[in-house]
Amino acid sequence: MSEVGKRESFTVPIGPQHPALKEPEHFLISVDGEIVTDATVRLGYAHRGIEKAVESRTWVQSLYMLERICGICSHIHAMAYCLGVEQLAGVEVPPRAQAIRVLVAELERIHSHLLWFGVAAHEAGFDTLFMYTWRDREKVMDLLEGFSGNRVNYSVNVLGGVKFDIDDTQEIAIREAISFLEERTHHYLDVVTQDAMFLQRTRGIGVMTRSQAEVLGTVGPTARASNVYREIRVEAPYAAYDKYPVKIILDSRGDLEARFVVRLTELFESYRVILEILETLPDGDLTTRIPRRIKAGETVSRVEAPRGELFYFIKSNGSDTPERIRARTPTICNMMSVVKLLVGHQLADVPMILAGVDPCFSCNDRMVVLNRGRKMEQLFTWEALRQYGIDYYQRHSA
Amino acid sequence: MKTEEALSIARQLVEEWEFKTKTERPEPNRLDVALTTVDDLIPIVVGLRVIRLGYLAAITGLDLGPDEGDLEILYHFCTAAAVITLRIRIPRQDASVPSLTEIIPSAEAFERELSEMFGVEVVGLRNKMRLYLPEDLPEDVFPMRKDISDQEISQSVTLQEI
Repeated sequence: MSEVGKRESFTVPIGPQHPALKEPEHFLISVDGEIVTDATVRLGYAHRGIEKAVESRTWVQSLYMLERICGICSHIHAMAYCLGVEQLAGVEVPPRAQAIRVLVAELERIHSHLLWFGVAAHEAGFDTLFMYTWRDREKVMDLLEGFSGNRVNYSVNVLGGVKFDIDDTQEIAIREAISFLEERTHHYLDVVTQDAMFLQRTRGIGVMTRSQAEVLGTVGPTARASNVYREIRVEAPYAAYDKYPVKIILDSRGDLEARFVVRLTELFESYRVILEILETLPDGDLTTRIPRRIKAGETVSRVEAPRGELFYFIKSNGSDTPERIRARTPTICNMMSVVKLLVGHQLADVPMILAGVDPCFSCNDRMVVLNRGRKMEQLFTWEALRQYGIDYYQRHSA
Repeated sequence: MKTEEALSIARQLVEEWEFKTKTERPEPNRLDVALTTVDDLIPIVVGLRVIRLGYLAAITGLDLGPDEGDLEILYHFCTAAAVITLRIRIPRQDASVPSLTEIIPSAEAFERELSEMFGVEVVGLRNKMRLYLPEDLPEDVFPMRKDISDQEISQSVTLQEI
């Protein structure tokens, strides 16, 4: 115990097991009493060496490798890669294929946002909401499975187009699911903006001003909840987004509540775009031929993943294997902002602030295959911290 | 600093850089700026910040291979659809670049990654801890260099109890 009058800060290691979304990551949080004074993060526990691995694989093999960077947003990784490679090869992809790519990307966004919403509700101790959202998310998972045969890693993209077509039965299923989800999303939006218990955990917490969001380099819904105009689908439309424009959703409050509102409101845009694509799906081929060797050159491919801007830099040396592929995922940008944002907050708010950026660790962790267990004394597991947050707010609520 | 003053400084800077460096338009939405020396990096980045042109989207390292003997570091700045890339070539031996963290704090993660993966010393970076790589990988193994294979990386790890 410290001497009387002498203040000592206390360090709380969290993880590497079980931070938000049940993936391994290690946080070291220094606290003075209840207040966080410093936070650092150690990434790399799910590092698989994908950027290195693709350099010894062909262009086609790399597609399947890169699709596995992330289990939640696998389609968008494959899409970013395909768009880049097609650009390098100078190949024009049929409009029907581009529209189907966008359709699947929006279905993926719906499933990703609902998944995040459930997890965030769980971190707040609102498990009923978690059960409801994940039940509803199954509708989208069923659509994706019915369409591609897979619940994750749908493998819809091929270089030069897509593999799967939409038939009438799928179209009916999608319409039914969307109308169900649209109604549910209205309800969820009411919950996050009106439920007093939920607002206690979100309103005015984890506030990030517009200039902070810009300086810390955030992207995606996290940035847009702080009124930063950053949305690749709007600013630099790719695939078929020029034909099916989306509206940017901004919120100027910058707190956790704003991040909930932005993501849920974005879902309505996704529903609208999906229905619009079903109405006006162009006829034609699904694929076009693409050479096995890609012309030498470099390109940048940027797409809007559910969590924000996904940046691919692709360099070809004219052979059948890529020279270099750089994938910068949105979570790495947002994660660094969170570490700065935690300082000054209650320890009890840490789980929610972290969950608020929708962190995806396997997206961050790539590149080297080494991944060895470490012995580390754990003073706080994620579960314990989450429970601590819930208990704290139960004690302190009137 | 007054707006007018800032603008004139930025213009001066841009003209200097136009004078010193070659630019290229590889694609309609991209501008590549080939810097002749590492010393130009900070002034140009400051210049971009001052005129609020784009945000740092990523830093990419390229190993041009032992034959060329160089690394190339790319700094991608994005605004709307435009991508401005500052390119610097540095020797593979004693590779070093200045840190951007004083100007752009979010560069830290990219610079730590660059440093551990390519063996580039980032001068001025305060937190030099590894970001992704495990502690039991030797200090002199840089996985993204072209002259090391996947197998060699795995073999270089010393098995030890921590």
